[in-house]
Amino acid sequence: MTLKLGRHEFPDDATLMMAIVNRTPDSFYDKGATWAEDRAFDRVAQVVDEGAEIVDIGGVKAGYGETVDPDEEKRRVVGFVARVRAAYPELVVSVDTWRSEVAHAVCSEGADLINDAWGGHDPKLAEVAAAHDAALVVTHTGGLPPRTDPHRIEYDDVVADVIATVVAQAERAVAIGVDRRSVVIDPAHDFGKNTFHSLEVTRRLGEMTATGWPVLVSLSNKDFVGETLDRPVGERLLGTLATTAISALAGAQIFRVHEVAETRQVVDMACSIAGRRPPARAIRGLA
Amino acid sequence: MRVVIVPGALALLPAYRGLVDPVADLRKVCEEAVAWLLEDGARTVEVLGDERIAGALLQGAEIGAPGDALLVVANGSARRSTTSPGYLDERSLPYDEQVESALARGDLATLRSLDPTLGDDLLCANIAGLVELGARFSTCSSSELRYADDPYGVRYWVVCLTCES
Repeated sequence: MTLKLGRHEFPDDATLMMAIVNRTPDSFYDKGATWAEDRAFDRVAQVVDEGAEIVDIGGVKAGYGETVDPDEEKRRVVGFVARVRAAYPELVVSVDTWRSEVAHAVCSEGADLINDAWGGHDPKLAEVAAAHDAALVVTHTGGLPPRTDPHRIEYDDVVADVIATVVAQAERAVAIGVDRRSVVIDPAHDFGKNTFHSLEVTRRLGEMTATGWPVLVSLSNKDFVGETLDRPVGERLLGTLATTAISALAGAQIFRVHEVAETRQVVDMACSIAGRRPPARAIRGLA
Repeated sequence: MRVVIVPGALALLPAYRGLVDPVADLRKVCEEAVAWLLEDGARTVEVLGDERIAGALLQGAEIGAPGDALLVVANGSARRSTTSPGYLDERSLPYDEQVESALARGDLATLRSLDPTLGDDLLCANIAGLVELGARFSTCSSSELRYADDPYGVRYWVVCLTCES
């Protein structure tokens, strides 16, 4: 099935790089490096140059922090979406928000995709996506409200819980009117999960891809990588890329990342090992 | 009878195709030569050499013997330089020159006299097929060497001949 992300369509076996672009002063990895709008715009130019097919623009730090109300979130992202949309018509513009009010505003400026990182917390988000013919990422958070960390959450079977939750959200979105080709599921590593949960979700990601819904993974520099390797933020690239390779082998298609060029190489390599992508140029032993 | 010679490069096979074709130039010349081979109305093509490569280039034309046209899959040495697949064997260059000159001129007598054992030592492909070609016909009324190069250290030729018994 074709993957339709707003005005853009991709073959069903495409792998896509979704570059994180933060319009925040306090996100965990870049610590406000692209808080200034022009810096964020430079970041877009850079990731486009590196081959990103999607930019995921966020105006609110995922974790605890300063309150960002809907008006402030809109101030951070709406005009920026319009600017990116105008400058890069071939780029898929995604916005990371859980608020339908913000989603409506950015879709009105041409956003193609709403990344609902907080798992349907605002049930009207799917209606907004449907109304604008935008795509929607649905996620598993274990029921946590936005911007909260897990505390002693346990599951009988974390993967079963993830699949049941995201597939239900996906079917609900389609029932509301989102194009079936435009719904993407994300297990949401670290969200409502301890490190053991995120490792198990990675290990069993094939069960998610087997649902037939396209799978997005957001692994980049996250705590489960840091805890697994005992590495602080800033030293998690290798662990992220190892997890990326496993996920690509399992059939994940969209990779939400800080490091686009490195991830692209790892995903291409894994997909070629899986037999889903030919080598770029092969002559060794074939001349 | 029309005769075409193409090299046995495995990179010509669809199974080994990458995103970028490392033998795009060669493939194009091979396809044009095969089109010439068939344009006279040949229905069955006899193949001397690797039938997989012949099949990939013939694209559906029937392979069998006797044929209305002949396709020989053969190539020169893979020991032409230190970066060749078989490293350098200094006998390669004169040997390839001898074969290439004979192909360019349609010199069947020289093809008949080639030493296939030396060809094997030099990692050529199917010199025996070229010897058989030389033996099968008595003259060539036209010869055209359309490709002669060694982009990966192996000597490739694409040749179109019109041969008579």
